[in-house]
Order: sequence, then C-alpha cells, then structure tokens
Amino acid sequence: MSVPATDPAPVIRRRRERPADRWFRWGTLAPAVVVLVVLTAWPILNLLWMSLNTIEFSRAGASFTFTPVENFRRLAGDQLFRISLWVTLLFVIASVTIEMVLGFLLALVVSGVGRGKGLIRTLMILPILVPPVAIGSMWKLMYNYDFGILNQAAALVGLGPIGWLSNTSLALWSVVIVDVWHWTPLVFLILFAGVEGLPREVIEAARVDGATTGQIVRRIIIPLMAPAIAVAFVFRSILAFKVFDQIFLLTSGGPGTATEVVSLRLYHVFFKENDLGYGALLSVVVILCVVAFLASAGGLARRVGK
Amino acid sequence: MFMTTRRALMAGSALLFAAMPASAQSFLDVGEQEPISILINASPWYGGFEAVVDLYVEQTGNEVAIDATPYNGVLEKARNAIRTSESPYDIINLDQSWNIEFYEQDVLRPLDEVVAGYAMPPEVVTCGDSYFWNAEKHFRTQDGGKLMAIPPNCNTHVLVYRSDVVKEVPATWDAVLETCESVQDKPNLYGFATRGERSQGIHYDFLPFLLSYGGKIVADAEGGDYTVTVNSPEALAALEKFVAIQTTCAPDNVGAMGQGDVIQLMAAGSAAMVETVIAAWANYTDPTKSAVVDTVAAAPMPEGPAGRGVAIGNWHFTIPRNIPDERAQAAMAFFQWFLTEEAQVAYAEAGGIPVRTDVMEALWDQPEYAWMKAYKTNLDAGVQALGFAEGAGVDQVMALRLNQAVIGELTPAAALNQAAKEIEAVFAQRGRKTGSLPPLAE
Repeated sequence: MSVPATDPAPVIRRRRERPADRWFRWGTLAPAVVVLVVLTAWPILNLLWMSLNTIEFSRAGASFTFTPVENFRRLAGDQLFRISLWVTLLFVIASVTIEMVLGFLLALVVSGVGRGKGLIRTLMILPILVPPVAIGSMWKLMYNYDFGILNQAAALVGLGPIGWLSNTSLALWSVVIVDVWHWTPLVFLILFAGVEGLPREVIEAARVDGATTGQIVRRIIIPLMAPAIAVAFVFRSILAFKVFDQIFLLTSGGPGTATEVVSLRLYHVFFKENDLGYGALLSVVVILCVVAFLASAGGLARRVGK
Repeated sequence: MFMTTRRALMAGSALLFAAMPASAQSFLDVGEQEPISILINASPWYGGFEAVVDLYVEQTGNEVAIDATPYNGVLEKARNAIRTSESPYDIINLDQSWNIEFYEQDVLRPLDEVVAGYAMPPEVVTCGDSYFWNAEKHFRTQDGGKLMAIPPNCNTHVLVYRSDVVKEVPATWDAVLETCESVQDKPNLYGFATRGERSQGIHYDFLPFLLSYGGKIVADAEGGDYTVTVNSPEALAALEKFVAIQTTCAPDNVGAMGQGDVIQLMAAGSAAMVETVIAAWANYTDPTKSAVVDTVAAAPMPEGPAGRGVAIGNWHFTIPRNIPDERAQAAMAFFQWFLTEEAQVAYAEAGGIPVRTDVMEALWDQPEYAWMKAYKTNLDAGVQALGFAEGAGVDQVMALRLNQAVIGELTPAAALNQAAKEIEAVFAQRGRKTGSLPPLAE
C-alpha cells in the first residue's frame, strides 16, 4: 500500500511590520502593563526599598533612614522569626496534606452518588462561606476548657478536660483541625470538578479489563487529575502560608510559641511595634520562602510524576 | 465597630437619665459647638461612657459621633487618622502604652494650645502623670511637661473576690496563695485567676507582683538610664510567686486565659478571687451577666515585700493636630464638661469609672459603690510602669516569656534572663543608654 505523499510544509512569509501595527500592538498592551506596574511591580519594589530602611513618623510625615546592615543583623538574630517559619511550615504540611487527602476522598465519594449531588456539593462548601471571625469565635467556644462542647463530650466518656488551646503539644493540632474544617471544602470543590470531568469510557474500559478500584484510582484517576490536584495544592499552600485570622483569634500565637506563624510575627512587628522597615524585610523573606516552598513542591511532584 | 450619631439616641437617653440624682441644671454650659467624632475602644467600661455622651448630647444639643472599635483595631485607626491631611476624629482615645508614640511624633495638640491656660481640675487624678509630655526629656511628667490629654478612666487592678467564700481578704500575695488553697474546689471553684495567655494582658497582670516585690523593668527611664533590671532577684521572686499562684489556683488552661475568661470565671461564680481591672466591674454587678451580684466585692491589691504595687493601665483622650480649630474647640468643650463633678457622678452611675477623687469619696459609702475605696487605695499606689516609647516592644517580649514561664516551657529565671536580653536589644536599637544585670542562675 502506497503512502500518499504529503504536501511540503507551507512556507510562512512574515509580512514586514508597519509602524502603525507596532503602535497598535503596544497601545493595546499598555493598559495591562500600567496595571501590572502600578498594582504589582511598584508595591513590591516599594516593599524592597522599605526593607532596607528604618522608617519613622513625625508631624512632617514618614522619614526613611537607609539601614540595611542593621535590618539584616536584626533578622539574623531574630529567633522568634525562625521559630515562626518552622511552625508555619509544620502548619502548612499538616493542614494541606490532610485537606488534599480528605478533599480527594470526598470528591470521589460524592461523584459516585446517584441523586442529590448538587445539594451535597452545596452543603459541603458551607464552611468556606463562614466569615473567619465567626469561625474563630465558634471554635474558641467549642474548644473552651470549662464549657466547650468538645470537653463536655470528652467528659461523657470519662476523659478529663483537655486544654485544646493551652496545651503546647496540642494547640497547633487544634488550629490545624479548624483549618481543615474551613478549607477542605475548597479542595473538594476543585477536585470534584476534576473528577466530574474525567472520561467515563476510560474508567469503564479499565473496569471491563478487570482493574480493581484501587488500580483505577492509582493508575487512571490520579494521573488524569494531576492538573486539578496541582491547582488545589498550590492554592491551599499559599493560603496556608498566609494563615492569620483563625490563629490570631484562637491562640494569638501561644501558648509560648506553639502556634506562632509568620503572619503573626509580621503583625506584631508591623502593627504593635510599628517597625515598618524591619516588618518589610520579614515580608520579603516570607515571600521568598513561599516561592521556594512551591518550587520545591513542584519539582518533587514532577519527579514523582516521572 | 459602629458609628452612630448620638442625636438619634437623645430620646432614649432622656429616659435613661431621668432618674439620675445629678441635676441637669448644674452641668457646665459649653454653648453651641461643632459636631465631634470620637474614636474609642469597645472595652468593658464603654457602656458607661456611651451613656454619659448621650447625656452630653441631651443637655447641650451638640452632636457627637462615636466610633467604638475593638481594642486591637484602635491603634491602627488612630495612626491612620493622624497620618492623613485631616483626621476624621476630633478625640482619639489612646492606651497608656501607645500614647508616647503619638507624643513623640508631635501629632497631638497640647490642650493649652486649644484653650489658653487650661489645666485639669485639681480633683482629677493624674494617673502617674501620663497626660503630661516633657518633649526635652522624652518623658511623661508634670515637671516641665505639657498637658496633652485628659483621662476617660484611670484603670488599675483590684482584687475581686466572692465575700461568701473568702471570709478574710488576703492582704499579701502569700495570703492569696494560702486563701486560695483553703477555699478552692477545682474544677467547681478555682481559688484565684488572672490572665496567663500570651498577650499584653499577662504582662500587665504580672506588674502588681513585680512592683510589690520591688522589681522594675528599667533602672531609671526618666533619668535616661535604660539598664534592664527585669532579671533582678526581686523580679525572680515576684515571678516565682506569680507562677505558683497561677499554677496552684487557676484552671489548668491558664496559659490560654484572656481577660474575658477571667471575668467569666468570677461572673459565673467559678472563682473565689480574681485580679482584674476596675473597668471590668460592671460585668460582676449586672444581673443579666453575673451570678455573684450580691456577693462580689473589691479589695486593694495584695502587698509584697516592698509594699503595694499597682500598675496604671489608663486611657487618654487626645486631640489630633490635623483638625480645624473649631473642631478642636468643640472637643475641648466636651473634655471640660466631662470632667465636671456632675458629669462624673452621672458617669459613675451609668457604670463608668470616675476620675475625680471627690466623686469617689462622695459615692463610696453607698454599697453599690463600695469598690471605689479599693480603687482609690490602688490609685494612690499606682505608677506608670512602662513610661517609655519602647513600651509596646517590651510588652511583646514580656508577653511571650511570662507565658512560657506560666506554662512551664521556661523556668522563671530563664524566662527573665531571656526577656532581659531581648529588652536590652529593643533599647539598644533605639540608641538608648542600656545594659542589663548579670543573668540569674538557671
């Protein structure tokens, strides 16, 4: 059988660009560039400049004194900031891991439900809609040592009152639980959309070929859902790195430094100590840490994928 | 947080104050003034202040808008207000640990610039001179200082106790521990409690211990000697007593207990004694909130080896520079009205904490105002323990290290040594003449 000859590749001739086209192209791009510079590049450059200065206020306004060495020396000796980075890392790993696993399992379970899928999905995402202050207040009451519902339930089974927020080895887990309750629905929502979009015929074909449910999940669903999983992971990791409100409301970073996350440290430096220059330097370090974490996680995911 | 125009509440306030003994005719006539706006914290004493503002509006016809904001939000609102071209607030209420920042920036009007020669009535308490600012010494003192603010309250601690449980009021910290051990029945009744969570609160509640044991944070701030003395043997003895009382008498979760928790313990009848600010008093006497209305009583703060130690945690009504003169005049008119004897009586009757000694003395024989005697005794011993610009930074350090001592993460000696090192760094960073004592044996 002869193979039909293919046409030679068409030769693309580039038309010489007219000045008017160039102006049009840059003109249409300009608004986006201006927005990018004003809303992103300028604030970041300003933050970098602030981070190298000591900023003081007076009646005449803010005055900047260039003190990069002092700021970096202070950073090198800031034991509390190092602790807060470590606590944040623990918080991110624990909360995001649990949320990803739970969210994925829930997405699989709900997608297998025959009727009422929409209602279940709506009910599942309710925690995302609750304002953070309400979440903090609600869980603080539930964790209350004397009359919280959790300790009352524990008393029913003969357990003594538990210091959910006052026990140093338990406090971080207590705030992780709240975070999991709050944000697992977001992971569920993203992954549920992914599961619903999977090609049914591929899964059916695997089942006909005798694949077990575990094999289908491991060999077909997870690889096909990798983009959705990556999106959920990145979103949640970034949000978990920035956690502030619920920890501020539940523990204020205590007891001791058990729940001292970087956002709280930044809050103390910026707003309590009014030290804007050093606070800006800490912000830059946090941004770099988030980027480094996401880059390493991405690299790890790619290696696992291969 | 809310903003209300008080004129709208006039009708209600007229009813509220109809039964007040203070005669409306004898109140100060301030004439017609520009409308004013007040930034104030929504703390336990706010209800009394709101009521007295209603009375001002009713009597003068002048408009007052209040922005009542949770404690944590007031400082940023205040900073933003003075950094704009024109402040939205004519009166800004500042905590004693914040006002030095504003004094140093010269963003507030000395009151005698608004009303020439103005001085507070002599009966008004000066709360450790924190209303005066000596710009040359960078220190709050009447000695060469200008009057920058007036007191909406002069908060101090009091020892609050259940008179049906505590038969003999403890006069010393040792006696507090003994009394607590003899009366408590955990978890139904805790012997004593005060704040233990990592916040400014634990530092403030520790100060009566520190001061009564003869300790202090720095050697001589007024004289410019910022040598850190918080790790002295006296401070160690104070912290050991503080930790002993907290761990023996308070609930096991004391390391996470804030002001609300402590007030709740007493109001629910679950504590025999608590150390709280006098501003919380209304929570114990309000039948809708308290189970101890008939048995709660207040006593002066217990003494230590160096006597009674009381740290003042007062508030400051200030006038920003960046408002028109007419609004500054209107703010001053309110100040002058507020500090009159009649207004202070009305303030006390509405649940506020008066700042005039003649009002306290006139009222304290009445059973419902008996707490004023303890409050006045404490005021007489009160000092400003953080009279320097780095107060907020020192608070941050002490909050963490004291909390770690209470929860057992650090020994008291290690906590104080660590705190001293960090506080010295805070002072050094601002170029103060500083240093510290030799470390305590850990």
